[in-house]
Amino acid sequence: MSSDFSIIGKPTAMVDAAEKTTGAGKYTDDLSVPGMLVGKILHSPYPHARIKSIDTSRAEALGGVVAVAIGKDAPNPYGILPVGHDEYPLALDKVRYVGDNVACVVAVSEAIAEKALELVDVEYELLPAYFDPEESMKAQTDLIHDNKPHNLEKDYHHAFGDPDKGFADADHIAEARFIANEVTHAAMEPHSTLSSFELDPHTGKLGRLTVWSSTQVPYYLQHKLSLVLEMPMAQIRVIKPLVGGGFGGKSEVIPLEIIAAIAARKAQAPVKITYTREEVFWAHRGRPRTVIDLKTGIKNDGSITCVKARVVQDGGAYCSYGVVTILYSGALLGALYDIPNIQYDGYRVLTNKPACGAMRGHGTVNVRFAFESQLDELAEKIGMDPAEIRQRNLLKPPCITVNGLRVQSYGLPECIEKTVERSGWKQRKGKLPKGRGLGIACSHYVSGAANSIIRSDMPHSTVNIKIDRDGGVVVYTGASEIGQGSDTMTAQVAAEVLGCSLARVRVIAADTDLTPIDIGSYSSRVTFMAGNATSRSAEDVKKRIAAAAAKKMNCAAEELVFRDDVVFKKGSAPPSVKKDSDEEVEVTQAGASVSGRVEGQILRGSLQQKRKEEGPKEWMTFEEAVVAAIDFHGALTGTGSYAPPPEARGGRHKGGGVGPSPAYSYSAQVAEVSVDEDTGEVTVHKVWAAHDCGRALNPVSVEGQIIGSVWMGMGQALTEEMVWKDGMLMNAGMLEYRSPSSVESPEVEPIIVESIDPEGPFGAKECSEGSLAATIPAISNAIYDAVGVRLHESPFTPERVLAALRAKRKDKALNLTEGVDPTAPVRFREHGGSLCFKGKGPERHALDPARRESPAVAGGAD
Amino acid sequence: LSLPQFRLLRPRTVDEAVSFLSKHANNVRVLAGGTDLIPSMRQKLFEPEYVLDLRSVAEIRGIRQQTSGAVEIGALTALSAIEKSPYLRQHFPVLAESAATVASPVLRNMGTLGGNICLDTRCLWYNQSLTWRKGCGFCIKKDGNICHVAPGGTKCWAAFSGDTPPALLCLNAEIEIASPDRTRRIPLQEFYTGDGVNYRRLLPTELVTRVFLPAESADYSGVYRKLRVRGSIDYPLAGVAVVMKRSNGHIADARIAMTAVNPAPVLVQKAGELLVGKSIDESLAEAAGDIAARTAKPLTTSALTPEYRREMIRVFTKRAVLAAANN
Repeated sequence: MSSDFSIIGKPTAMVDAAEKTTGAGKYTDDLSVPGMLVGKILHSPYPHARIKSIDTSRAEALGGVVAVAIGKDAPNPYGILPVGHDEYPLALDKVRYVGDNVACVVAVSEAIAEKALELVDVEYELLPAYFDPEESMKAQTDLIHDNKPHNLEKDYHHAFGDPDKGFADADHIAEARFIANEVTHAAMEPHSTLSSFELDPHTGKLGRLTVWSSTQVPYYLQHKLSLVLEMPMAQIRVIKPLVGGGFGGKSEVIPLEIIAAIAARKAQAPVKITYTREEVFWAHRGRPRTVIDLKTGIKNDGSITCVKARVVQDGGAYCSYGVVTILYSGALLGALYDIPNIQYDGYRVLTNKPACGAMRGHGTVNVRFAFESQLDELAEKIGMDPAEIRQRNLLKPPCITVNGLRVQSYGLPECIEKTVERSGWKQRKGKLPKGRGLGIACSHYVSGAANSIIRSDMPHSTVNIKIDRDGGVVVYTGASEIGQGSDTMTAQVAAEVLGCSLARVRVIAADTDLTPIDIGSYSSRVTFMAGNATSRSAEDVKKRIAAAAAKKMNCAAEELVFRDDVVFKKGSAPPSVKKDSDEEVEVTQAGASVSGRVEGQILRGSLQQKRKEEGPKEWMTFEEAVVAAIDFHGALTGTGSYAPPPEARGGRHKGGGVGPSPAYSYSAQVAEVSVDEDTGEVTVHKVWAAHDCGRALNPVSVEGQIIGSVWMGMGQALTEEMVWKDGMLMNAGMLEYRSPSSVESPEVEPIIVESIDPEGPFGAKECSEGSLAATIPAISNAIYDAVGVRLHESPFTPERVLAALRAKRKDKALNLTEGVDPTAPVRFREHGGSLCFKGKGPERHALDPARRESPAVAGGAD
Repeated sequence: LSLPQFRLLRPRTVDEAVSFLSKHANNVRVLAGGTDLIPSMRQKLFEPEYVLDLRSVAEIRGIRQQTSGAVEIGALTALSAIEKSPYLRQHFPVLAESAATVASPVLRNMGTLGGNICLDTRCLWYNQSLTWRKGCGFCIKKDGNICHVAPGGTKCWAAFSGDTPPALLCLNAEIEIASPDRTRRIPLQEFYTGDGVNYRRLLPTELVTRVFLPAESADYSGVYRKLRVRGSIDYPLAGVAVVMKRSNGHIADARIAMTAVNPAPVLVQKAGELLVGKSIDESLAEAAGDIAARTAKPLTTSALTPEYRREMIRVFTKRAVLAAANN
């Protein structure tokens, strides 16, 4: 990496690595405060029902139970989007999915709380439930939310360019339906929240609230708590301890985060709630099942003339990030390739299932699977190499796409080139043994949304820095470390700008009492936005140090260079200097690259004083310069913030606010797979993944993110799927949900491409999400290369692959997958687009669409 | 999820264990490795007053070769010990191979052979939390009287999902069952009932203590093939064990058994008999697969469709037969 830098660009251990790897680190569930009680939530057993009455008296009478909170205790709606305030922490009058929150028992132990849940008597009136979006859109009565006719959360209809002309100009058109089934984040750490009120010193009543929570968005949590609890934000402190992964599942306010506060208020004692894994699945907010009707036109030379997509998302019972998801699905058709005409019809539909929300690659992943698959089909039609057709359709940045997205740095050409080269694509494609194949696909993602979800002019990130006489640099940032390396990035950027060693920098993050506002860790925005804010904050404080140092060194501040803990004049060699004793003190350690084992702090006390009295100098240590600045200015602090520039904020059309980003990351991947033609089992042998992250501030972290994205994409491609039967989630656990284990994880070769973005911190862009979407179509295209079947539905389970193989061979017809065929939509929908569960479902309303006559028992007849 | 409260009984001998059992019959669950019992207790599938922790009963742990060539395996022997035993790998390869496919390495260190033989039958409608089962409606196997898998049926179809029993059935294994009054020894085949609820013939006062592999079963070539979505952790969605002995180019003896597609592991007698006296080729292997697939009765107890799992019994049987023949 570049030698112009002393900190960034070098593989750097995460600043919290030791805590996490030794188990010393504290996650929310590890915390406790004196007098803390346990909260347990009662969930709805029905997918759609009116609550006629709740009687908590039997539960309250149980020894060890302190309080039982219900909806009336906090009857204010909230939601992550200002347009989607449709959730109540605890149901007021209706439950809308199996798992909806009804009551919260506070008790002295988990076992007692669980027992008390059995004693809360709730009388329900069952309502017809809707499990399939197409059926749901036909609803006239018993709507999921009264203000949403046809259970339609939101629909958008966009046309950019001239789609009709685009298709008229095309020489070849492909049209197909693609289905991507529902997946969830499955982060290692289940959600956990601890809420504690302080007593007000004047009234003796409950006063300030402190909340420790596993969240990606402490500031939004503080905001929603204030809404629901009717408390000023200043009375609420949100602290984010270590978080064991989020992937979007903690990027909005999850019911338990508010319920814990309501319960603590009612019980007048601190309350901790930690979700069981089943509850994590119910809280969900994952990637919705998406049906994509996609039509693409190309010319004989491979250039794309038009894309038309109709996208229906099964959003679950609440809005969540839904409006944003359905917009991303359309907007991110652009900004990857040069597409002159785009038509998009998106429908976000409510159903009686847990709410879907943001998940790694938010909104773009499923549509990208469809698009990249179809592009391969078209390439085959015109006899063009799949890599080449992608190279034919590159953007020519800087440019603004037809749908208003500004693209500046664009490393996609290099990504394609490098993956093609490293994978031996040209030599090996089409020449592998039977049943083995290669597939290529590309993807991209935003480096943060250019428009905040809360409409305001506030900066998206603000960072403060404080430096004291000890030479220690404390960075205060609201950005949330969730395992992705936020704190390490912050420390690196601050140290690089200040020219000090990494060991000097301490990051205080995500504590709303201490740290300035940052809107959170989502949309891959932290490196770009908080990174820029950190850099500006460090420049701000550096200016003050430079002014003082320049005085001491008899030169202009602009002439000074800060590097490796030394301040020296431009042009002069960085000193490795003799000190007053005979001892040589090496001030710089050019080779030091790993954090936690660094120089610094070498001049102290009398030594410091002595050097100070010596008069003008050729150079100063960082500490000396800091002391000089404090002597000169008083307290040494700096601040910096970042807001995306107006020109990056997108078009003016309705919904045009979602999709624009100050910069986009790019990815190209080649997957090598083999397919067992008798069983349909797919093995991924290797994935070459090139990712354009602008500049890799911490290459080892970038590589980790690329590998993680590929792995997560592979899970969605091959094994992961939420399976439903009449509103019951059949696989609400890690055993049956089946994220890939280490055994089937392929070798991933990450390839870093650096396009150096003009606006990113040191040119950096995002690296955590953009690579996920390419993995699914790369595998799908590789399966096609291997055995000649095109899969239109993910995940590519062995039975789906085998069914496709059998259909191709025209073998004995065997219904292996129950209604995968889109020509049998009713059957298909009934089971949530999934494995068949033909048995008798649970008790449901007589008019419930799920209550159809079940066919004969499976597996009986031969 | 919290563990229900219980009293822990920690016997040191088999006698002590069975006397605890008879004292607390019907109110006690036996813990060998605990890999299945503990999660099930958290789901409130079992809320016994007592848990009988066998882990200190040293006499039923370990693999013992007898001079006759027979082998005695203590019920408490860890699956990883079976998987790694050089003797078993050489003379009873099918058992070592099937043990090696159970769950994951960590779970095999805890899980025992006896536990795998006694493994509770599994069903997606049953292995769920109390809250889930309440929402769905309780089923025949636990607290209810309906079956979600076979509507209108009165029989429970929960699938037996142990990996080692089909291998043991192929080896004509016997098990020793201890109770306060007597110790009996029965062929493993007689242990299973084929009913998902009362899936084994074991009185509440009885304990499976040992497994015997007869000398005549040694040195059969054997193969176990397991269908699962992931390469680790998963229970079998279908499993096939095949053993055979050759003499003069043809098959002198062969047995085929399968798991995870019926409420009991099943020895597919006819499929094994089909092979005897013949030399194995593709079509013969396929014919054996057809018989096995016809015997399988997969239902919607597990992931993947029943139709697919039945197909895989066909494919896996064929492959296992060919692989065993080529060993």
